[in-house]
Amino acid sequence: MKSWLGKRMAATGLLVLLMLAVAACGEQGPLRVGVMQSVTGPGESYGTVIVQAMEMAVDQINEAGGVDGRMLEIIVEDTKCGAQDAITAYNKLTDVNGVKIILGTTCSGAMLGAAPLAERDGVVLFSASATNPDISEAGDYIFRTAINDLQLGTDMGNLIWSDGVRNLATITESTDYAEGVRRTSVAQFESLGGTIAAEERFASDTTDFRSQLEKLLNANPDGLLVSVQGEFSGGTILKQVRELGYDGPIFGESVTAGTQALEVAGDAATGLKSVLPDLDPGNQSAQQFLADFRERYGYVTLPWFLGSAYDDVFITAECLSQTGDDQDADGFRDCLYGITWSGTIGDDYGFDDKGEVIGLSNAVVQVLPTDERTEENNGYKVLGGIPST
Amino acid sequence: MTALARRAFQPGELRRRAAAGDVKLWASLLILVWAAVFMIWQGLGFAISIGSVFAIWAILAVSLNLVVGYAGLLSVGHIGFFGIGAYAAAILTSNASYEQLRTEAIPTFAWPFFAALPVSIALVGVAAVVVGVVLNRFRDDIYVLVSFGFAIIAFNVFLNGRGLTRGAFGVHQIARPAIGGWELTGELEFLILLLVFLALTVAVSWLIVTSSFGRVLTAIREDEQAIEVFGYRATHYKLAIWVISAMLAGLAGALFASWTSFIDPNSFILLESVLLVSIVILGGLASIWGSLLGAMAFVLLEEGMRFLPFLPAEYVGQARQAVLGILLVLLMLFRPQGLVGRYRL
Repeated sequence: MKSWLGKRMAATGLLVLLMLAVAACGEQGPLRVGVMQSVTGPGESYGTVIVQAMEMAVDQINEAGGVDGRMLEIIVEDTKCGAQDAITAYNKLTDVNGVKIILGTTCSGAMLGAAPLAERDGVVLFSASATNPDISEAGDYIFRTAINDLQLGTDMGNLIWSDGVRNLATITESTDYAEGVRRTSVAQFESLGGTIAAEERFASDTTDFRSQLEKLLNANPDGLLVSVQGEFSGGTILKQVRELGYDGPIFGESVTAGTQALEVAGDAATGLKSVLPDLDPGNQSAQQFLADFRERYGYVTLPWFLGSAYDDVFITAECLSQTGDDQDADGFRDCLYGITWSGTIGDDYGFDDKGEVIGLSNAVVQVLPTDERTEENNGYKVLGGIPST
Repeated sequence: MTALARRAFQPGELRRRAAAGDVKLWASLLILVWAAVFMIWQGLGFAISIGSVFAIWAILAVSLNLVVGYAGLLSVGHIGFFGIGAYAAAILTSNASYEQLRTEAIPTFAWPFFAALPVSIALVGVAAVVVGVVLNRFRDDIYVLVSFGFAIIAFNVFLNGRGLTRGAFGVHQIARPAIGGWELTGELEFLILLLVFLALTVAVSWLIVTSSFGRVLTAIREDEQAIEVFGYRATHYKLAIWVISAMLAGLAGALFASWTSFIDPNSFILLESVLLVSIVILGGLASIWGSLLGAMAFVLLEEGMRFLPFLPAEYVGQARQAVLGILLVLLMLFRPQGLVGRYRL
């Protein structure tokens, strides 16, 4: 009896193995894409949520059957927001994992460190969040859905001028992003005839801004531009400048109007005007995405950057579907140049011959009083497009 | 080889311990060899890039060990000299193509790398004399605090000296070295260059610590007042080794700038300085061989963490840092004198 049972089990096992082998022959392996983000280091607050948005996108694609039946797989590496780690992460992904398409990086510094290698090796680098203007010159294989700081700064300068400010004070975090926004905003504002009353800068680990804000207010500005990289700094500046008695208009970029910044600032943020790429409340896929993200992770922060990362994965899936090969970086690059995409961050956008996103624009938003802020409206109302000057 | 020379490089010490069946040492060496083989097996290009990181950190560690290990001066400001060397090389080799960039311009000199390198090292030397004269007035805990202050000042100069460093935007497209018409664009060629400079650094350091000058330094470490009784001006010796050590860090900085082709102030934060001191202690104080081992252990540990297979993607980076921290604590717990060191801090 036992011997008979043993034979039956052995035969069944063999059959199962044979079936698995046949199935494996007929099935292709996953399509593999590298992800380089700053999940630790200075850009951690962006990098971590960007990876989460990408993982969600990959899961959704795979649950819906993958890319033409093949699973999409991402391999995540940390760049710590710096060039050295970007280079080792890049070499690990390309040499060990053999990927030819990399979604990243979070920070511009890491992007500028890895871009020469990607350009040399013919590997696509595709960023959701690096905004430094110099990236547009980085090469033929370098793409981004992040909007260049030049555009943001120009829009900000126009907004400040059209709001009647003529004598502006600025406070800026000493990072490439925040400095870039300040520089281009001020250049545009000055070109329209405005003057700069006073300027202050601070290092990223600063927590008390009162003395610097006092100096700014002593210059009697009729507007204040807050340009920061960290939401905590943005929120604290708003809070402290109102505590010092300033009641004039305040302008900020997307970080200053971020969820955490508004929490820190409380009512002091009310009325803040911000120029940011915003997820359109009328865009069904954007709202669905935000709802899914909130359900999966329990929160939403930096919604536009989340959307940008999410779209990047779907664009990647589309281009992989066209090329059918995750090793065909040239085909993937050509697909990106030719693509017109409608996703969470906008409709009918694409890439110009420098890999810069085109067809997306910034919006002007104004922060609401605390009792009107909800998870759905992110704490602000959209006033519309950038005013003409 | 004199007894002192053998102690400096310590292959004899290694042999003695190995023969005595020092299990911890064998285990450390075995893990290092295994990790190195694993990296090469994973991919040669990746191994070359971490080999380059190792060479740069090894130059830094060997140079810092001259000050911390041999002279007994605990400095956490070494990263400042690394940064000055990097920025000096980046600015001196910069060419007019920067002007085409849309962010702020810096002065352009367009020197070849090998012309910029000695000048960068000399500039670091000048800075080190100035800082060293001030630092020499302090001892022990205050010395550490003042060197800490130097690291902070250096970082802020890199960040706010925008006319020279482009501040937070960083310097891009830093030239690779060229020999004649042959530019070292390949990663392997650059690794060989780095290893040549590492060998030179080791040779210079070895010559220093095995000379009578080195013996005085070790004596200063043991008892500064006693050595002054014999007529040695301890401050001169301390200043000399400080400047030499800083210039070697400047060399590492110039090579680093050329290797990454992009630098910004974030590469020279205080944390990097603390990591560097950890490497020196991890390897072993007053041991050149120990600094090489320490740098290799650190780089292999940090990069090896990329192969942790069982974590959700969004936590890989954080876990890597946490595991690295725990491993360093464990190493210090079980080998407080470092892998091959003679002294505790």
